[in-house]
Amino acid sequence: MKCFSRYLPYLFRPPSTILSSSCHTEADIISTVEFNSTGELLATGDKGGRVVVFQREQESKNQPHRRGEYNVYSTFQSHEPEFDYLKSLEIEEKINKIRWLPQHNAAYFLLSTNDKTVKLWKISERDRRPEGYNLKDEEGRIRDPATITTLRVPVLRPMDLMVEATARRIFSNAHTYHINSISVNSDYETFMSTDDLRINLWNLEITNKSFNIVDIKPANMEELTEVITAAEFHPNQCNTFVYSSSKGSIRLCDMRAAALCDNHSKFFEEPEDPSNRSFFSEIISSISDVKFSHSGRYLMTRDYLTVKVWDLNMESKPLETYQVHDYLRSKLCSLYENDCIFDKFECVWNGSDSVIMTGSYNNFFRMFDRNTKRDVTLEASRENSKPRAILKPRKVCVGGKRRKDEISVDSLDFSKKILHTAWHPSENIIAVAATNNLYIFQDKVN
Amino acid sequence: MEYKVEAHRIMSISLGKIYNSRVQRGGIKLHKNLLVSLVLRSARQVYLSDYYGGACLGSQRAEAGEWAEGETMESLEGRSSPGAAGADSCESETESRETLRAPETNAQASVEVAAERNAEEPASSSDYNWPQGGETDEERAPGQAEDSTQVPSCPVPESRFECGAANADEGPQSPAAAAPCCTRKRSAGKSPYAGSPVKRPRPGSVPPANTEGGDASEDMDTGNVSSLITIFGSSFSGLLSKDGAQAEPGAADGDSGSGTICCEQMLPNLSPWSTAIVAF
Repeated sequence: MKCFSRYLPYLFRPPSTILSSSCHTEADIISTVEFNSTGELLATGDKGGRVVVFQREQESKNQPHRRGEYNVYSTFQSHEPEFDYLKSLEIEEKINKIRWLPQHNAAYFLLSTNDKTVKLWKISERDRRPEGYNLKDEEGRIRDPATITTLRVPVLRPMDLMVEATARRIFSNAHTYHINSISVNSDYETFMSTDDLRINLWNLEITNKSFNIVDIKPANMEELTEVITAAEFHPNQCNTFVYSSSKGSIRLCDMRAAALCDNHSKFFEEPEDPSNRSFFSEIISSISDVKFSHSGRYLMTRDYLTVKVWDLNMESKPLETYQVHDYLRSKLCSLYENDCIFDKFECVWNGSDSVIMTGSYNNFFRMFDRNTKRDVTLEASRENSKPRAILKPRKVCVGGKRRKDEISVDSLDFSKKILHTAWHPSENIIAVAATNNLYIFQDKVN
Repeated sequence: MEYKVEAHRIMSISLGKIYNSRVQRGGIKLHKNLLVSLVLRSARQVYLSDYYGGACLGSQRAEAGEWAEGETMESLEGRSSPGAAGADSCESETESRETLRAPETNAQASVEVAAERNAEEPASSSDYNWPQGGETDEERAPGQAEDSTQVPSCPVPESRFECGAANADEGPQSPAAAAPCCTRKRSAGKSPYAGSPVKRPRPGSVPPANTEGGDASEDMDTGNVSSLITIFGSSFSGLLSKDGAQAEPGAADGDSGSGTICCEQMLPNLSPWSTAIVAF
């Protein structure tokens, strides 16, 4: 298990407007984090509808120890609050998910979504501008044609680098319910957007049409028993996708089988353990995130207390189950009261699919090494970490005597939760979002 | 009996959550409300399991009651290793789970009937300002002509309301839609069900534990909660018989109006409990 060190604190807001972590505004809460396919860029979305993109510094021989730090590359307002007049409902501008598209040219493309609308953004650099127009002067004022005596050809002159983001496509009006996931297909032509009851397939070029591929809305809404909680395309097979449900099951569908994939090809569910039954069994079995491994061979799901790794070839039970914070099992009632039980934690694979990571409370996040079966709990906090310090493993004490460095369950801060994390696609660099702060940790360099 | 108190508390918390979800920004979250309604249903089953210890619906109910009791003994007393009771409950649980699902159609039908009746009562009472107009509810029962002509969609999330305690002999009836629940048109100051009879808690029931009595204003008045519980749990025969029992006075909650409003608005909202997320 690698030790994570070289703690580089990146505050979500630029330094001049830092708010201390105890009094951040709600709009600054990070709601999604995503590396692009090369790891060069890292995008974060927040509750205020903004997207901030970080870019990794090129490694330079002059400063070898500053190996690839991430700096702010672009910031833009992706979504604004809207109002649905028909239903008298406000549509939140919170960015639910960001997904990068693979890069084809100099520009970068990403999809960002709020509850109702998906947008395709193009992020491009501009480092030259034309100068020497004939019809307007340097400030842009129109010149009187009568004063023009000569003609010249405008030339491109270098300027300070400007990164601009433009909305290239807006995919809207396709979802009645709240969008919870988007996933780009490996064919790089289509993507899907998922809400509570339906999954729609879009072509990246076409915004006025989408195909409904899954619809679990019952004819009579009174019979509703489960909703879709997450969905993802297979990383290699462009016809395969999975979606998870609030009942703790995962369905794998093949789009070649039928136009409407209501009938699954595979159904993954683990029978419930009756000894653990409680009022809240259904809530804690609801899957909050589902991720394919990079290889496409495995599937990882996160429910409230565990992370499970499934083999696509075995539907009856997961291959591996990891307890994230089982000490909360006895506290489910109070977690229900303060709404923490509804928190949707995400989970991520590392580049080689050997380690999985997910968040917890008290700004803790957990990593599980699938090969060595070792796990570690780390904390993302400013107080405990200095730059270039190695992160110290933390431990939660579940009862009995508390050792010196341990934290007891009752002193955990449930308002500090790590829901969103991301792992660089090939290196050991992780991005952890703790409320309004983004932490980027890198592996120790020898 | 502690589990009944616990179940009661969980029910009132759940009801509060459902109420609060309406005023949350971004609209009602279907997923969260579905989960809350599942918890509410489980808590309700536990709470009422004592009423029907085998009396009605024959063996089905008995198994369900047994399961509920066994389960709560498990969960609430915090026993992780299944003891003798646990082992029994495990076994009966699997079979009763199936049986619980079976009477669902019956249960839903009777719930809908009750919802319909519930809607009719306040309509006749001039005190209660049922929302008029609004969008048509597609699930409206045909036989509801005497009720308000159009009923706005109810944003209360659906719960698969397995009213195991419902009278199975009512049989499946035409699905009643009555979703006369919406908040917007309701005026806050009216007292609910002033004219409509709400059956008093049955003698054998647990008196409402006033644990939340002095709590934050958004907590339910537990007296109202137990009347809600009995509305749902009393197999609706109470509503049918119309004993003339008075509603719990919503205004009894002496603190800020929001607590009262919460209760007032919850009562009619929950009576068409089974009619679902028609707002969507």
